[in-house]
This record gives sequence, structure tokens and C-alpha cells, in this order.
Amino acid sequence: MKKIAGFIFIALLFISCNNDSEMISYDNPELSLNIPADFPELNTYVSLNKPTKYGVELGEKLFTEKRFSADNTISCSSCHIQANAFADHNPQAIGIEGRVGLRNAPSLQNLMFLKFFNWDGSKLQLETQPLVPIITHEEMDSSILEVIEKIKDDASYKDLFKKTFGDEEITPDRIYKSIAQFEYTLISANSKYDKVKRKEGPSFTESEAAGYATFQQKCASCHGTELFTDQSFRNIGFPLNTNTNEAGRGRVTGIAADFMSFRVPTLRNIEYTAPYGSFGQFATLKSVLDYFDSGVLKAENLDPIFKNNGNRIPLTEQEKENLIAFMKTLSDQQFIGN
Amino acid sequence: METIKKYLLLSAVALAFVSCSDSDDNPAANNVTLEFNNTFKNTTIVLGDAASASATTNTSVAGQVHHFSEVKYVISNIRLIKDDGTEVPYNVNDLDKGATVIDQAKAESLSYVLSNVPSATYKQIKFGLGIKTEQNTLDQVRFPKFYAAAGANDTAMMWEWGTGYRFTKVEGFYDTDNKAMSIHTGSTVEGTEGAYTQGVNAYRDITLNLTTNAVVGSKAPKIKIKADFDKLLSGATNTITLSTGTGMSDNATPNVHTAAQMVKFVDNLGGNGSSDITGMFSVTSVEN
Repeated sequence: MKKIAGFIFIALLFISCNNDSEMISYDNPELSLNIPADFPELNTYVSLNKPTKYGVELGEKLFTEKRFSADNTISCSSCHIQANAFADHNPQAIGIEGRVGLRNAPSLQNLMFLKFFNWDGSKLQLETQPLVPIITHEEMDSSILEVIEKIKDDASYKDLFKKTFGDEEITPDRIYKSIAQFEYTLISANSKYDKVKRKEGPSFTESEAAGYATFQQKCASCHGTELFTDQSFRNIGFPLNTNTNEAGRGRVTGIAADFMSFRVPTLRNIEYTAPYGSFGQFATLKSVLDYFDSGVLKAENLDPIFKNNGNRIPLTEQEKENLIAFMKTLSDQQFIGN
Repeated sequence: METIKKYLLLSAVALAFVSCSDSDDNPAANNVTLEFNNTFKNTTIVLGDAASASATTNTSVAGQVHHFSEVKYVISNIRLIKDDGTEVPYNVNDLDKGATVIDQAKAESLSYVLSNVPSATYKQIKFGLGIKTEQNTLDQVRFPKFYAAAGANDTAMMWEWGTGYRFTKVEGFYDTDNKAMSIHTGSTVEGTEGAYTQGVNAYRDITLNLTTNAVVGSKAPKIKIKADFDKLLSGATNTITLSTGTGMSDNATPNVHTAAQMVKFVDNLGGNGSSDITGMFSVTSVEN
């Protein structure tokens, strides 16, 4: 009896050893990301899907995969172009067959630190986002099983799925997770502003410094924190998108005060992401500032900052010039691949 | 000994007879057909485009004449309640087997057959208008059949941006100048329990008493359910006046998704979950 027990014990040992060595054979280490000092805390869902070496590699490959679209013409990177801080230059996103979407493609940067995704904050977890463009008629107009069917026999994908997840199986969840892992690595914190702040040598010009002062006085209450957005949703009286599907954050929350409210966009890399506004209402930064200065649209739920100040942010021409100079110090050459 | 043998034989024969009669006359289960009749009050709706002369028109309490070109809604989470109060769920965790899109333009969709319902006497039916939040994820792998049915081009019961299903889709025309009306409802709930959540739950649980008990067994009963779309604008919870525009209170087009407006339609169609648990639905008859 003792012998048998001993034998079983030894056999068990072997089994567990075996399992361990199998796990180790897929060496897919977690990436150590350089989290900038003073950035807000991470979105809590990040801890469930930490970027790994192969997960990120796979995610990037999927991000540029045109077979995600029904006619194999559009990938995520068609509208999220690195040179534009992963936004593009169209007022509204353009999907397959030239279909025009509801809104402006947002830049993708510092997503790890965001609590809400999309202009209306409809998604709280980045992993739940990729399905939206895949199935949306005006974007890729496909389905997740159609995508999997197209890529499942591709040897390079089999290899990467195995390296990332331990076996070759391609599942919707694994696709969503690896794309999110790649997107989590898109951290921009190497602009002139950052270098000035970290005292790495560069300093602001007179105009930039004056612009920074105006920014702190007239802009920072919304474009706050090191992300240059306080992640709030506000109706700031921008020209309205008359598409009947548009209601801003109101269509998500059902709260009247959220009607035509949009997420305060980050100002990082703003130089590269024209046009501006939820559906690209403004071609240039100057036109945005002119609009603030001359007065925004009235609305019942107009943000108090405007409502209490005659529906405008008064700015002199000099202030506008300086603000634009300051905003350009938020450009991160390294991030956009230069 | 001989006597015992005889008894044994007799009981064996008796048992055989019992089981025979079970399977022939009183099966363990049978079908129940739910037959939906979409109406304005008591008149079955005839769909039609803006200029249609044949479409059924209705006038709301607020005095707005209207008619529909499209009427669709999702039924799921079906439960039958026995006369002793026991609840018998019908594939409630499987949208492929337990959920359907009722489409006024497709006659075959108006009858939904529940198969293999346990033989019993039933006094009540419960079902959901829409889909519970935990199942409302457009999971094509888990529920390929329902995903395909709801997503078909002529069904369009998906809400892409919210990665959920549309629960109701009503297209039509209102007022004498036939302005377009387009009422879509669906849930926008996001977030996990215990963490931050947001959005509106547009799922409504409906409870209907049967007019007479449905006896499932040797016969397969048919339960006739009326869905009275007069309630859309003139419901138990809200009296709605349609208006067209892009303002916060305009409600005739899909910006009813400003879910504050949407919820008014949802409560009228599916009840508010407390004082009204029938919404637009009622059982008109049971055929045993």
C-alpha cells in the first residue's frame, strides 16, 4: 500500500513538473512599460490584461489587418495613423466603400490612463471596443467570426497566437485582448512640454511660456492633469452634428444634462490631429480659439464655464497665438514615429 | 410460487400498459405556440410607407395620427408558470433556442413555437421584452443563430456602437404631413458589478395571466398574445407627444437614444417594472 502511495506521489510530481516546463516553454514576458510620473492612475481593467511581449506584437499586427473589414480594404490603422497620433485628417471617419461615419476618429494615446473610451464614453474597458468598428456599417461592416475565418489559416497568426496564449486557437477574446495590449503601449510623454517639466534641458520660448500661462488660466479647468483632459463630458456649444443618431453622451447615460456632451479631448499631439471637434467642425486650432472667443451656441445644459461667462472664452489675438505655440509644445515627435 | 409468478406477470403487463398510455395519450412534454398579434387597440396593424392608403392609422391621446412601416421587437427569457406556482424556464440562458425577433413584416415570425414544454397546467407566462444585460453582448460565438437572425440586413436589430441588440425598432410616420418617426430602444449598460457602471437598462420583464389555463400534454396549446402599439405614445406610464428636431426634448427620430427620451417609450411598451408589468402586452385567448 505504502509503495503504491509513494508511486502515485512520484507520478504526480512528474505530471506537475511536466506542466510547469510546458508553461515556461512559451516565454512571453510582461512588458515593463515606462509609466510617466504624475500621470493619473491606470484604468482598473488594465490589470486584467497586462501587455506582454507577443501580445503586443500580435495586437499591432491585428491593428493593421485589412481583413478586419468586409472587403479587406480597411484596418484599424486606416483611421488611426501613427503620423497623426493615431487619428486621421478626415472630419468624420471613412469606412469601407467610402461610407462616412458619425464622428471624428479620436487619437489613440495614453489609453491606459483613460476611464472612458470614445467621444461619448460608451466603453469603459478597452477590450470591449474593437468589436464596435468591426461590426459598424459605416466602418468595417464585418463580424468577428468572419474576421477569424479569414485569418485562421495564416501561419504567422498561428505562430503569434501560440506564443501569446499558449496555443494556436484564435478566439474573439484573444483578438480583443491583444489589440488592447498594443494600444496600452501607445504612451506619449516625450514632448517638449514633458522635457521642460522634467528639466531635461529645453525651455519654453517667450511665446510658449505666455501661452502656458493663458492655458492655466483659461483652459486647464477642463484640459487638466498630465493627460490634458479631465475626462469629463461637457456641452461646450460647438456646432451641432445634425445626424439623428447623435446625442453625445446623452445616448449612453439617458441623463438630460449629458445631451450633446462630449469627452474633453486631450491636447497632447493636437498639432497632428486636425480637424477638431466631435465631427471635425474646425479645420485649425486657430478656428477653434476664434470660436471660443466670439461665442458658442446656447444650450440648456451648456457648461457653466461658458454659461457664467457670456457663452465665451474671451481671447486676444496675441493670446491665441501664444496658446497655439504652447499647444505645439505638446507634440511628441518620437510618438508619431519621427 | 405460481401465484407470485402470476402477480409478477400481471404487474409487468400493467406497467407496460401504463407506459404505453403515457407515451400515447399523455406525453411528458409537448409544444406551446405563442402567437403575437401586433395591433393598434384591437385592429391588427397593416404596415405601409408614407403615402400608403392601406396602412392602419392610429391617433394618440395627444392627438397625433400615425402609422408604421416597420415593427420589430425581441422576446427572450420565456417562462411558463404552472398552476401551483412553479416556474418552468424555456432556454432562458440560450438566445439561439429561447429568443426571437417578432417582425410584423414576416408572418412566420409572429408564431414562436416553444418545443418540449413539460406536461402540466399553466396559468401564467413571463417573458422579457429585449435581452437581459448579461446576455446583451453580441456574442457571435455563443449565440450564432440569434446573432445572424438579429443582424440580417432586413432585420437590423443590432446596435453597433453599444455592442448590444436593439430591443424594439419602430419606423413610421406621424402627423398629417407624415413626418418620419423612428423609435429604437436598447440597453446601454456598461461596467462590471462593484465597479463604476453607466447606462440605461431597457430590458423589461413582462408577466401575463392566461385567460384560461394552458394544458400541455396530449395537446399542444396556443397562447395568443396581443401587442398593442397604441401604448407606444399613449401608455400607462407616459403620454408622449412626438416632435422632430435636434433638441434635447425632440423624440421622433433615433436621438430618442438620448436615453431620457428612449426610456419613456420603453416604459410604455414594456411597463415600468413596478406598477405596470404588462406594458403593451395582454393574453387574448388560449387554445387548448
